[in-house]
Parts: sequence; C-alpha cells; structure tokens
Amino acid sequence: MSNRRDLVSYQGNYAGSVSRFAAYAVDLTVTSAVFSLTLAVVSYAAKIVTGHDVSWNRSNIVIVVLFVGWQFVYFGYSWAVAGRTFGMALLGIRVVGADGSVVGPRRGVVRALVFPLSFLFFGLGFLGILVQREHRALHDLIAGTAVVYSWDARAARLRFLAREAELNPPPP
Amino acid sequence: MLSSPAGDDRYLRSFPDTGTVVNPRDRLRSAGRRNPVEAIAQQVTERVVDLLVGALDVNELAARIDLNALLDSVDPNVILDRVNVDALLDRVNVDALLDRVDVDALLDRVNVDALMDRVDVKALLERVDVNDIVSQVDMDALVERTDLGAVIARSSGGMGTEALDAVRSQAVGLDHWVDRWVRRLLRRKDHAPSAPATLLPTEAGP
Repeated sequence: MSNRRDLVSYQGNYAGSVSRFAAYAVDLTVTSAVFSLTLAVVSYAAKIVTGHDVSWNRSNIVIVVLFVGWQFVYFGYSWAVAGRTFGMALLGIRVVGADGSVVGPRRGVVRALVFPLSFLFFGLGFLGILVQREHRALHDLIAGTAVVYSWDARAARLRFLAREAELNPPPP
Repeated sequence: MLSSPAGDDRYLRSFPDTGTVVNPRDRLRSAGRRNPVEAIAQQVTERVVDLLVGALDVNELAARIDLNALLDSVDPNVILDRVNVDALLDRVNVDALLDRVDVDALLDRVNVDALMDRVDVKALLERVDVNDIVSQVDMDALVERTDLGAVIARSSGGMGTEALDAVRSQAVGLDHWVDRWVRRLLRRKDHAPSAPATLLPTEAGP
C-alpha cells in the first residue's frame, strides 16, 4: 500500500477501481435514500389528500422507470455541470475528457446515457476499470471520458503533518 | 630635454637615428677624442658635476619639493589609461590578498543601515524569481518544525476534513494495491500513461 508521501503525486492521475466503486456505492446509497424519501413524502401527502394508505411496490414498472429516470437526472446533471457526483466529490475523483479537458454538458449527458451499457453481461463493461491501461470503463470509452483523482493530496498531506506536529510539537 | 649645441636640429641630424637616448657625458667623451680642448673641457665638466652632486643634500632638495602641487599637475586618468588593468590583475594573487583581509574588522567599519538605505529593494525583488525560491522550500519540514503547522491544523482541522483525507488516501492506496496485482496477473511490464495528456505537466506535476 502506498504511503502518504507517495499520494502527493497522484493528483490528475487515472483513478483506480476502489475509489470509483466506493464513489458509485455512495451515489447509489444517496440516490436510493433520496428516492425512498421522496416516495415516502408522496405517500404521506397522498394519504392526507385521499385518506387512504398508498403503498409502493418496488417491482412496479412505473417505480422502476421513475428510479431509472432519477438516476439518469442525478448522474447526468452532476457530470454535465460539475464533472462529478456527490460520491465522486467525497472520494476526490472527477470525470474529464479523454485528453484531460473539462467534460462539458454534452459528454456528461452522453456518459449518463451510455452508463447502463456497462452493467450489461454481468457488468462486463466495468472490467475496463481494472484491466484497461487508462482505467476506462465501456461508458468512458463510448463517451470519450476518463476519471482522475482531483483532490488536493498535497494540502491533505500538509494538514496531516500539521496535526502530527500539533500532537507532537518539535523540541524548542 | 636635450638641446643641440648649435641651437637647431642640424646637430641632431649628424647622429644616426637609432631610437636610443645618448648619455650627454658619452657624447662629450666621443667629442673629446677628436679635440684635446674638448677633452679638457669634458674632464672639467665631469669634475664640476661630481662636486655639485656631492655637495647636494638630496633630502633637503626633496623636502623643498611641493609634492601636492606636483601631484595636482599630474592627470591620473592619463596614467591609468596607459595601465593594462587586466594584465595587472592577472599578476595579483586574489586569494592571498583576501587571506590578509580581516573581514570582521571590515564589517565593523561598515554602516549597514546607511548601506541598506541606498539599496533599491523593489528593484532587487523584481530581479528575484520568487517562484523558484518557493519551489525550493521544503514545505513538509516547514510545517513539521514551525508554528505554521499549528496554524494550519487550527484553521483547516476538524473531524470531517481529517476523516475525508483518511478515506481518500486509503482508497488511493487500495487503488494502487489492486492495480499492482492486476498488472502482475496480466504480466504487464510496460508503464501505461498515468494521466491524460493535458493533466500530466500541471496536475500530475512533480
């Protein structure tokens, strides 16, 4: 495992599988939580209005379509506007063009549209993150994007050293 | 300056122009070989000159000379123009010269405040490449050994930031651990580009 000093030089490098998977896991948790919360609010409002309990069946096609639509809006908007989702921001990674340029709205939307393709055939499209030289998944290759580390590791290292120095002050 | 006995330059024309200065006494002697009267006159003259020189008090003569007035009449620039300074400096052993200089004593005599007043600090700073200096600063050592670390810790600390840094660095570490194993399994030995082309020189950095 790399030590903290090595991490300083990784900013701008292609992000690896663990960071990307962790970011997606966070995003999936957030989007699912927001969707469930929204459904709960809608159910509560419907109950007040109609006076009847409204329950949502998760296998209902409407709910599935709504969830997929919500996912598309969440990822598409985040990539198009900021180049990163909430989970990616948390893990310090971002989407860029294949050449490192800003991803832009068009490529952000295209990436969100082709993103489901990577799930096909048991997620074979994601294998590129592991084995491809630039850690690009199928949807990255189609959309012409890549994912890189964007967090300021140098500032993080200085913060770490500062905390260490404060806990163990140097001798006068 | 020597003048010809005839009062004009016909006398000089009788001597071949060898480019050398002839001693007046030698000239008289050569004349004396041709004429006995001139030989006697030469001997008398030599004797008189010897007596005169013996009677002269050179120190008193030197004391009468007004050196300041003499030096005032000398143009040092004319003399310096004829000095080959480079050749002169080539003959000077600067190391030996500096060994004899008492730098402490020299500095004690320097009025540093007056010196600094004459320094144009702004012009001096304009010639300094601050970025180059800053790039040479060991920030890690600076943060670890000075109060700067405490300032950073207080200003940017907090459990959230600390946790975020820890999670991110752990994730990056795991990324590279996985990547190393994949490369080993695929027997991949050549190095792939670590970053997109436009991010390599700036963000990937040193």
